[in-house]
Amino acid sequence: MSRSKDSDASSLSAHEERAQAQALFNSIGDGVITTDEFGKITRINPAALKILGYKENELLNTWFPQKIIAVDENGEAINLIDRPITKAFLSGESVYEKMYYRRKNGQKVPVTVTVSPIILGNRPVGAVEVFRDITVEYEIDRMKSEFISLASHQLRTPLSAIKTYSHMLIDGYMGEITPPQRKSLQTVVVAANRMNELISTLLNITRIEAGSITITTKQVNLHKVIEEILKELDHTANAKQIQLSLKVATRQPTVRTDPLIIKEIISNLVSNAIKYTPEEGSVTVTISSRGKQHVMVRVEDTGFGIPEQAQTQIFTKFFRAQNVVRRETSGTGLGLYLVHALTEQLGGKVWFTSKEDVGTTFYVSLPRQRQAALKPQPISVV
Amino acid sequence: MANILIVEDDTDLNAAYKIILESEKNYTVKSAYNGQEALETLKNFEPDLILLDLLMPIMGGLEFLQNYELQKKHPNVKVLIFTNMENSPEVTEAYKLGAHRCIIKSWTAPQNLSRVITDALDEKQEKPVEATR
Repeated sequence: MSRSKDSDASSLSAHEERAQAQALFNSIGDGVITTDEFGKITRINPAALKILGYKENELLNTWFPQKIIAVDENGEAINLIDRPITKAFLSGESVYEKMYYRRKNGQKVPVTVTVSPIILGNRPVGAVEVFRDITVEYEIDRMKSEFISLASHQLRTPLSAIKTYSHMLIDGYMGEITPPQRKSLQTVVVAANRMNELISTLLNITRIEAGSITITTKQVNLHKVIEEILKELDHTANAKQIQLSLKVATRQPTVRTDPLIIKEIISNLVSNAIKYTPEEGSVTVTISSRGKQHVMVRVEDTGFGIPEQAQTQIFTKFFRAQNVVRRETSGTGLGLYLVHALTEQLGGKVWFTSKEDVGTTFYVSLPRQRQAALKPQPISVV
Repeated sequence: MANILIVEDDTDLNAAYKIILESEKNYTVKSAYNGQEALETLKNFEPDLILLDLLMPIMGGLEFLQNYELQKKHPNVKVLIFTNMENSPEVTEAYKLGAHRCIIKSWTAPQNLSRVITDALDEKQEKPVEATR
């Protein structure tokens, strides 16, 4: 008798345990789906059903990758081999990605997904996927990005007028001006250029960190681009009597890349070179070939140089070497961080050589043909 | 000699570009202050090049390009996008609608403006390749 009572008690306990486990599973706020080793859905919680818009009996025992369609930003279906569940099974490790799922009603919902294989006795017996609807975060990031674009546009509009009219006065479009007037206007132009650089830097860093840089590839003549840059920085260099020059040591100074990004990179380097070179120094930009597949741009100055102990940190955010902070107090420490990040975006490399109190040379190597990304990418939250 | 249409809602900048371009190289320059005005002006004016702002009231640059049907009806007209919104989806869209080049206003000194225009008038039209983010 007592033995029967004991087994009743333990089976009640087992029943309670199953009920508790089920309640736990049902209470999880994120979507959870488990599959067997063949990808057939074995369990699905209410949060997952709510996100996907299905009923439980529509999904249980169906093949997960076929029933729950994953798509990219453009609505194109993601191939089976690229699905996180496939990667998790193949690698034996957890996989984290951002993508979109198609709900039952056809709408796309942005999600973050973590899939882990379930390993029993050293072999995968299934997978568990946890996913979350990130529509709200996605919308906040999109609004943030739109605000930044609009704010930078609004800040730059009056700046464009300040710069354009100052230049026009200096260049005599409104009649002759006196040397003191010219000097004052050059000060205005230098300040406007600095403000413009700052806005560009902040905008681009925000975009890089949000993964929302848009790259448009075109054939770019670096000779022309760099000539424009040097003309635009002419007044800044003249204010310190720094000699700016350009040398073209290749017959093919062209690359297929984003013209605005490459302009941003080289402008930053030349502007830095001018800033950190004392009066009557020089800044020389040279375009050359680096093998058949690459073009190199070298920006060489006769400036303060970078102390050896600071050289490993020069591309980090907000870093400014002490020797220049003492001499030149303007500067955010973001310019070279941006140059490095943007150069990587274009598939290129940037490095430098430097000696304190002698000068610095920055090298930017770019592939002649930038390869466009062809694979669908996980969503970048804008 | 070339006919240039400036489409820019900021009256100060519009005036400045007109002064710069008219003083150099014998360009005939007309101004419009939004896309709709530009379309009106273009009924009686055949440009060789259009300097086009993107963000404008009434009708912006992208809508203007769609209405103007640049690639279909005016393939020989060069459109230079003149904006302060670089690396934006709007610029990519403008390229898709046939824009030749994008210039950032706040980066461009007047002495570069006419040179950029001369280069654009001499260059062949090219379709850009777009990369994903």
